[in-house]
Amino acid sequence: MTTRTPPRAPATGTGRPPAPAHPATAVRRAVVRQVRRGTVVVAVLSGGLTAFVAHEYASTVSGAIGVGSLTALAENPAIRTLFGPPLALDDPGGFTVWRTGTVVAVLAGVWAALAGTRVTRGEEESGRADLLLAGRVRQVTLVRTALDVLLGAGAVVGVAVTAGVWAAGTAVPGAVLFGALVGGTAMAGGALGVLTGQLLTERRAASGLAVAVLLAGLLARMVGDGVPALSWLQWLSPFGLLGRVAPYAHDRWAPLLVLGVLVAAPAVLAAVLAGARDVGTGRWRGRDRARPPSRLLRSLPGLAVQRTRRPAATWSLGVAAYFLLIGLLATAMLDFLRDNPVFAQMAAAAGFARLASVEGYAASLFGLLAVPVGAFAAARVAALAADETASRLTLLYSRPVGRVRWAGWEAAVAAAGAVLVAAAAGVATWAGASWVGAGLGPGAALGGALSVLPVALLCLGAALLALGWAPSAVLPVGVLPAAGGYLLLVLADSFGWPAWVRGLSPFAHLAAVPAEPLDVAGAVGMVVVALALAAAGLAGYARRDLRG
Amino acid sequence: MAESATPVLLDSLGKRFGATAAVTDLSLAVPAGEVFGFLGPNGAGKSTTIRLLLGLLRPTTGRAEVFGDPAGDVERAHRHLAYVPADVALWPSLTGQECLELLAGVGPGTDRGYRDELVERFALDVGKRARTYSTGNRQKVALVAAFATRAPLLVLDEPTSGLDPLMEREFRRCLAEAAERGQTVFLSSHALAEVEAVCTRVGILRAGRLVEVAGLAELRRLRRSEVTVSLARPAPELERLAGLPGVADVRWTTPLEVTLALTGPPGPVLRALGGADVLRLDVREPSLEEIFLDYYGRAAA
Repeated sequence: MTTRTPPRAPATGTGRPPAPAHPATAVRRAVVRQVRRGTVVVAVLSGGLTAFVAHEYASTVSGAIGVGSLTALAENPAIRTLFGPPLALDDPGGFTVWRTGTVVAVLAGVWAALAGTRVTRGEEESGRADLLLAGRVRQVTLVRTALDVLLGAGAVVGVAVTAGVWAAGTAVPGAVLFGALVGGTAMAGGALGVLTGQLLTERRAASGLAVAVLLAGLLARMVGDGVPALSWLQWLSPFGLLGRVAPYAHDRWAPLLVLGVLVAAPAVLAAVLAGARDVGTGRWRGRDRARPPSRLLRSLPGLAVQRTRRPAATWSLGVAAYFLLIGLLATAMLDFLRDNPVFAQMAAAAGFARLASVEGYAASLFGLLAVPVGAFAAARVAALAADETASRLTLLYSRPVGRVRWAGWEAAVAAAGAVLVAAAAGVATWAGASWVGAGLGPGAALGGALSVLPVALLCLGAALLALGWAPSAVLPVGVLPAAGGYLLLVLADSFGWPAWVRGLSPFAHLAAVPAEPLDVAGAVGMVVVALALAAAGLAGYARRDLRG
Repeated sequence: MAESATPVLLDSLGKRFGATAAVTDLSLAVPAGEVFGFLGPNGAGKSTTIRLLLGLLRPTTGRAEVFGDPAGDVERAHRHLAYVPADVALWPSLTGQECLELLAGVGPGTDRGYRDELVERFALDVGKRARTYSTGNRQKVALVAAFATRAPLLVLDEPTSGLDPLMEREFRRCLAEAAERGQTVFLSSHALAEVEAVCTRVGILRAGRLVEVAGLAELRRLRRSEVTVSLARPAPELERLAGLPGVADVRWTTPLEVTLALTGPPGPVLRALGGADVLRLDVREPSLEEIFLDYYGRAAA
């Protein structure tokens, strides 16, 4: 054991193994490895969903809409605002772009933004970047490699969409343009994520900023579509450019140049910023010492409130901005549907029944509210799971604190936060509708908004179930009841699927409050299921090994 | 390669984080082949200095060079060095082997034969995913990756905090081999016994300033040693020991035994003892820990 000293290299400089020629290649392989699974999932989802809708359209809806009706639809500001400009609805491709374009673009863009912050800021935050940067890799190289890989991943998603709609039998130029737009949105999201990763020191904050900028772009698109004087806003986001390019209708290529700028600008800025900052901290450093210590941080419920209040405020603000717009559009939408009964029927088939009264209009759109409120609740449980993985709970749980107690407090405060987010939407809708004199009462607006809470509680329950039994999948499982359920209902209504399939969606058990009275049995049923899921989840959480 | 240049050269290096000065006016040169110990209490700025040396942080003032290459130019500077962080984070989904391959891919050239040997010596199961590794095992991955490069400079930031005594012994052997090969080592550590065993020179950092740089022997000479005298019979004339230059803390444990702290040359004490019937004389050099506590104690005072 003592004579193992190998006399390989007698002195420095001689006998050293040669350095690998391209250290950036190793970094590139590592980044590809980190994003490849997500890329495949998003590509398959995007391509699959668009191909599916285009295919279903061809076999069921085709030919049901006349040219005159199309014109009326295209000219209405409310329709344009909410669903994007309806163009070429008589074409399976055009219908697919209108129906799925925004959803798929948001999915691809948000995923890419989160991946962008993960491979840059996340790697730095965890200290893994230090290991690579101690090699012959510059910080700028690391950031540039992340950008390259994410742009490539965006291209893969775009190609998947093009291949999907093309395989469903739509025209080639439209398919290529649609794919380019979705791919470009993913690229812009990825570049944005890398950029916010350079600006902020915490991954969570960087992700939040990137997603907020993307969704602000979506809101700008909606305003730009609804208000002719502000139509220039469409040029500011990839979502607005979808209408400018108008695949299958006008097939314009020039707006893709603007999309190129939306991708290149954050990418170049990120690469420039990467060269001029300390590793481990963002360009915008927060204060190291805060104001007097928070009084909340003296008890478990206080800690839960302290951790939840900022996300709850942010989500409330975002949701309120959207529903203020919904309220402001109320009269325009009602006038349109009164003049065009064909579309009232069509909208009913697409999951927007009873649009003809202001209560019905509000109720239909409050259905959408369940998705962000449910996502908020699921995200809070996902934050709990992330704390665990990062070993931040180890100290807490080394005190006399039971896991069920802490998770229970987190869940209870998240539920209270969900009530706040929903209430913010109700108040905003009422404010908007009152402004245009649509005649929606504050009680009706608030009641309608709060009526979606059972679905949000289902999300919370599902997230807790995942926390107990599949802790790496808390967020996807948690948003499933809301996002998946909504999609299921829309598809079932659009294509006339059997009632039992439709009944699987929580939204099938949600009454259109305030147009209808609350479906008490449905609400109670969902709350019971939510409680059962939560109980099963907490039982698993108490029992399983703690990670991290 | 400019490997005749100084491996580590810090020149008036300073780093501020907002209003906090983490490192102030730090100048230090570590010559080739030296095993340099970098000591200091928590928060003294050791890791900040190392991150400045690695170019991970940008200095507010001054400069850092690795073998003559500016620390900010990492593609050149990092051809000469390998690094082990205090808290090793790995990619949870990669296996140990994959982590090693990745680090070899970006590193300054890796001796794969030696790496395989190191994996054996550190008893590392490289087939497992990094998420299954304990702190010590993650540290082993970083150590194996660093030693296997044979880089002329090893920058080690508390590299053994998670290792068991067996592995720590293996680490010391690797360090000795590295020193034998002429590699320079910059070791930050709280394990003073380890520093004492492997380092030839140490620097002590306090509140962002370098308060002492000296060889271990020199440090000891400057510090006081503990002298214990056992007598065959009582010698009242030794009461005057307390008045001799460099003597402090005279304590008579029994009438036949006295201990005292001695700084500087021992001549006056030896002359004083000459008349007494001394059975046994014990001179104990201070351990690094005592020297260290002496520095910290003064800081606290």
